[in-house]
Amino acid sequence: MTRIRHVVAAELSKLLSLPSTAVAFAAMVLGPVAVTFLNARNAAYTDPAQAVLSAAPIGTVGAIVLGVVAMSGEYRSGPQESGGGRQITSTLTAMPHRAWLLVAKAIVVVLLVAVAAAFAFLLALVCAHHVLGGGEAGGVPARLFGAAAYWAFTALIALAVTVFTRSGILPLIVLIANGSLVSLSYLLFKVAPAARYLPDLAGIRLFADEDHLAMADALDPVTGGLVMGAWTTGLLAVAALVLHRRDA
Amino acid sequence: MRPRLPRIVTAELLKLATLPVVLSTGVATIAAAPVLAALSGAAAGTHAFGIVAGTVPFLQVGPILLGVLAAGGEYTGGQVRTTLTAMPRRLPVLAGKSAAALLVLLATGTAAAAAGAVTARSGRAPAFGSVHVAMGIVAHLVAMGLLALALAVLLRSVLRPLAALLTLVFVASPLLGGLTEKAYLLPDQAGRLLHDPLPGTTPGTWTGVVVLLAWLTGVGAAATAAFLVRDA
Repeated sequence: MTRIRHVVAAELSKLLSLPSTAVAFAAMVLGPVAVTFLNARNAAYTDPAQAVLSAAPIGTVGAIVLGVVAMSGEYRSGPQESGGGRQITSTLTAMPHRAWLLVAKAIVVVLLVAVAAAFAFLLALVCAHHVLGGGEAGGVPARLFGAAAYWAFTALIALAVTVFTRSGILPLIVLIANGSLVSLSYLLFKVAPAARYLPDLAGIRLFADEDHLAMADALDPVTGGLVMGAWTTGLLAVAALVLHRRDA
Repeated sequence: MRPRLPRIVTAELLKLATLPVVLSTGVATIAAAPVLAALSGAAAGTHAFGIVAGTVPFLQVGPILLGVLAAGGEYTGGQVRTTLTAMPRRLPVLAGKSAAALLVLLATGTAAAAAGAVTARSGRAPAFGSVHVAMGIVAHLVAMGLLALALAVLLRSVLRPLAALLTLVFVASPLLGGLTEKAYLLPDQAGRLLHDPLPGTTPGTWTGVVVLLAWLTGVGAAATAAFLVRDA
């Protein structure tokens, strides 16, 4: 029987040794901290936790990059001098059970996002408290967990989409462009309200307060989180099927 | 024998033309312009080029990807070693590559702006509007593409410069735009000054030109130095 523990350890070592992982990690930690600092110093928010939460979207980019490189790194051609082979062939030779491979990758991605989110939000909270002084708002810890969950879902969606495309270019463009403040889904929402069930808009209230959201009648945090989770699970399931059926 | 720049430019153009992903990026950019112009939520009475200017924040993905592919493509699979074997003088290689990319970017940017403006004009725009705005749009698109090329040479990759520039354009720039008035120092916001200047007098179009040129010179110089000194 396959020991999932070993596969996870292998995938963790692989992902940690990619330079892009360090960049993604830095984006997830330093991005929100820097934006929190600017938010607090400009006195855009009086409540420290709110200043942190409003900085959460920028960390999504790091999560996207992490999810993408976890898969796209497998498909990049190596140097011609050493045969131009792709890593996926070695990976599947060592671990022929493809569904477990994807499960292991998903676990590793979620693990790294969780660690980055913990660092990012703690540092940002300390920073915001330092600039603004005290102040507590109800339901904020829950929303910090919500923000971390949003990052994790986004990273997993990026992972699943990169399984389909086998290249990082398209998922990076679509997901980062959609993560912007004027996202394509939001433009679509203004035309068709059903767009609020798209993954990025469904989960938006996991971290965003209704008062700080330009979008009217977004799904509530629990429903939205479930919808985003369903998208993530569905896309990962299709990705597992595609990975299983298709030639590497 | 002195390297002949036209030959190098031809070689680089040939390389670009035979990459399917470059062709599809160019076609997709030109096709996206009318769609975005048709979907644009610009105020009634906006001139056609004004409507296209409003879509440039999304449209600039095309030139960014073109620039990144033109330079970063050399580093997937080690084509750069073949390139440098055929033409060992690195400065002419870089100049030729930039010139080839410039031609492709100019063609794509002009075609996209024209396609978008014709669509907008046939819709609800009362007139085409000023040719300066049109030139500003094309200049913005071309400058972002060249910046992407320089960054790709510096980072020797496709995905890294792409992720960096997309983050800048879609996340950092809107976020900082709301936080500080100095955001016009970012390349994409400086580019916006060329065709979609803020109400008021400062910072104006020429500020945008100077800031963009400063970015291109800075990143371009770093990329050139790295390409000349570093192992391929």
